[in-house]
Amino acid sequence: MGENKQVLIGENLFDMSGGEPALIVTHCKSCGDYFFPKTFTCHNPECKEKDVEDTLLSRRGVIENYSIMNYPPPPPFVAKDPYEPIVCAAVKFPEGIVIIGMMENMTADQVKIGMEVEVTVGTLYTNKNGEDIIAWKFKAV
Amino acid sequence: MTMKDVAIIGVGLHPWGKFPEKPWTQMAKEAIDEALADAGVQWKDIGFVISGSQLWGGRKGIYSGTYTEEVMGNIGLPVVNVNNACATGGTMLTVAAMAVASGAADLVLAVSADKSAKGFFPALPVYHEEPVPSDDTLRWNMGLPNPVYWALEMRKRMLKYGDTEEHLAKVKVLMSKHGKLNPKARYQREFSLEEVLASAMVTDPLRLYEICATSDGAGAAILCSKEKARQYTSKPIYMMASALGSPLYGDPTARIPVVSITPKPGVPVISESWVAAHRAYEEAGIGPEDIDFVELPDNSAWHVLQYIETMGFCGEGEACACLDRGDFAIGGRIPVCPSGGFSSFGEATMAQGFAQLYEMVLQLRGVCGPRQVEGAKVGMSEVYGAAGNNAAIILRK
Repeated sequence: MGENKQVLIGENLFDMSGGEPALIVTHCKSCGDYFFPKTFTCHNPECKEKDVEDTLLSRRGVIENYSIMNYPPPPPFVAKDPYEPIVCAAVKFPEGIVIIGMMENMTADQVKIGMEVEVTVGTLYTNKNGEDIIAWKFKAV
Repeated sequence: MTMKDVAIIGVGLHPWGKFPEKPWTQMAKEAIDEALADAGVQWKDIGFVISGSQLWGGRKGIYSGTYTEEVMGNIGLPVVNVNNACATGGTMLTVAAMAVASGAADLVLAVSADKSAKGFFPALPVYHEEPVPSDDTLRWNMGLPNPVYWALEMRKRMLKYGDTEEHLAKVKVLMSKHGKLNPKARYQREFSLEEVLASAMVTDPLRLYEICATSDGAGAAILCSKEKARQYTSKPIYMMASALGSPLYGDPTARIPVVSITPKPGVPVISESWVAAHRAYEEAGIGPEDIDFVELPDNSAWHVLQYIETMGFCGEGEACACLDRGDFAIGGRIPVCPSGGFSSFGEATMAQGFAQLYEMVLQLRGVCGPRQVEGAKVGMSEVYGAAGNNAAIILRK
């Protein structure tokens, strides 16, 4: 990340207090399910108690599936010129939840299903005000 | 009276394409005028209006029916404005059928006109006004337009069933063979396999020609009771089912606009569509084997392969084998999108269900000329919308 002002794409998405970023998820203590972004209730219709807590997700997961964005995404995303294809991955975590995110420093020919990745934080794009828009991303382990 | 006692007596469809100079209200009026003439009734005979429009044509789209009533001439009609994302077209018909079945009015008009953004749909105009970011604002900032979601699902199929890039291209070729025979379609020409495979890879594994364009379009339908239909027309088409669906918990699909999935074993892919289709079969008291043709939401070539299975026209993982056999062509076992589908029309979001309805009504009347499905007696359609919206309709002659 560079010198630009950094703007998070949302609050309460990840936690940096341990030094390394981890995603903030809601865990239902009653049924065991996980939700991201964090939420105020369990969404499982079979769950009666819905006793939820916020917790940090495991930092490592496995690429279950991916796509390459070969075209610049539409607004509000501001694509680099010249555009470089973006690798988007669906990552399965040990807790059972799958999270979609962009790969950091990865080209189309490097991404593989089954690849172990970890959560990182990085720039998605720089907006017209010169601010870096920051989100969770994944990087190869 | 139930939903099964409802008839469609008139339909109208503005051609699909790009009409930057034409307001959506004008497109709506043209579709309504055609539907009124088709039904042999006057605007003043209408007793209830159901409408829906996306916001691309302007903020007035939120109250599209109310503004459409004004354009047609205010006569104080009750108006319901509906929004179920891209499943709104089908949803409007369900609501219109409910209005007829409840006795709210003798003649009910369902109408939708929509303008579309060019290229990938970007975030809607209201996006920047959301006080608390939702998963929808997150995904736009992340650079996740709709086709990425479809690409992720397609890659799953390739891994699980061995579907190939060539199968995707074959779907486009087939849709274009149907679309070239439809004067209301935007793209009335046949695409070759080589040409589709040479088109740009957009969201790997989906190519440019395998993803539907975004179009402007408008459609209208007039519904009344089965009992009264013959007073107006000699060619009524009857509703057998009009079912809505939303997702089941644990759906393994990354549906637009989520950024996470909590998958559970045994839950079907695109569960909202599975639910609506099976609910429609139950309502109609028939099964997929009784359907003569299907208009499904082919936003991309992936959708065709998936919906064929989700709607029960073949077993899981068998869609490509059926495609290779020619099952989905006009004249095949289960003709898919004889209209040419979204692939040939482009998508006009909320109005899209009307392009399907228009084709179903014309097919069941037997007036589709070179693209007629011979002996078509029962047709089915399904539309699919963001956030897990779905509507499935079964009609008979």
